[in-house]
Amino acid sequence: MARRTSNDPQAIANVLRLIPAKWLVGMLVAAVLYFFLQPKLNAWFGWNLPSIAAMAGNETPAKPASTKPAQPELASTKATEPKPAQPKAASTKPSGEPTKSTASSKTQQQDDLKYRILKPLGRDRYESPAGLIYAPGSEEGHRLSHIARHLEDQPDRPGSHGVFDGDMAAFLVAIDDAYKRARGHAKGTKSRLEDGMTIYEAPFDQTIGYLGGTEGARKKNPKLKKLRLVLRDRNLITAFPIQ
Amino acid sequence: MAKPFLIFVKQCPVCGDGLCRVRVCHDLQRGRLTGCILCDECETVWTDPTLKQKFLRGKVEGTPCCPDCGQSLWETNSHWADIPEVCLLGWYDSVQIVRKENRDQIV
Ligand SMILES: [Zn+2]
Ligand SMILES: [Zn+2]
Repeated sequence: MARRTSNDPQAIANVLRLIPAKWLVGMLVAAVLYFFLQPKLNAWFGWNLPSIAAMAGNETPAKPASTKPAQPELASTKATEPKPAQPKAASTKPSGEPTKSTASSKTQQQDDLKYRILKPLGRDRYESPAGLIYAPGSEEGHRLSHIARHLEDQPDRPGSHGVFDGDMAAFLVAIDDAYKRARGHAKGTKSRLEDGMTIYEAPFDQTIGYLGGTEGARKKNPKLKKLRLVLRDRNLITAFPIQ
Repeated sequence: MAKPFLIFVKQCPVCGDGLCRVRVCHDLQRGRLTGCILCDECETVWTDPTLKQKFLRGKVEGTPCCPDCGQSLWETNSHWADIPEVCLLGWYDSVQIVRKENRDQIV
């Protein structure tokens, strides 16, 4: 007896003829809804729903953002050892910076992430792996644009201006690291409440930046190993290295 | 347009990195100008340069608001005060004025 497989076009046609037309319309609507909602549900809730293409066997299911980038296949053990993307930066940066994945190992979900770690929540809001929210606001229009001011010195700015020594992706990783440790009251961290705002401070083992502004220039730009975060609930208002 | 002066009271006592600057809100409906002090880093708002009284309840959540009309201080009817406006508010003696070489850094 010949076995009918679901991939047999004749068999599918026979089945379709047996299904009432309104069921078919309903199934079609469900499929279209799923097509549009699947990436959003994955982004919002961190689920791992397969795309329609994946279910049809044309694409591998999306992996959660936290999974490690795939190792190159069939390479020798030595060659597959992950190398730091920027050895110099890695020595001065907090651990946990995601390693650069190869183009072939990128999944759809990784493509959707802003600065490689921020999950879009819609309406220009983003959530970090530790749960911090980066939303529109501030003079610059968005919290991310605001904290970008701390990626470079403003030597003419009166007083001190903490400068993070790295790019935005590394800054976001350091902010998350500081947030997690300070929220967990880890050794050396501080937290205080100030009229609806929470101010966290966390030390780092290594230098994360330097003191800029006129005060920094006067002190010959000393290196900084602490990060201060200002939050309103889970919303990040600002973050910068401090003395 | 960038302003050639940076006007501020002092470095922010709340966040330690921001500058407490003079922000003015021009209430077009009532035709009046209101001044307040706004930290350009943590967005704390004070009613005047003594920094004794914070303004915490605005009409727009998650954004610093004008102590007079309650609207966002980042909206187009608000801006960093210039020297004549600081004089008009009577706060000239309470602020420091720094002339900037790099005008692009002041917005
Ligand atoms: Zn402040
Ligand atoms: Zn107003």
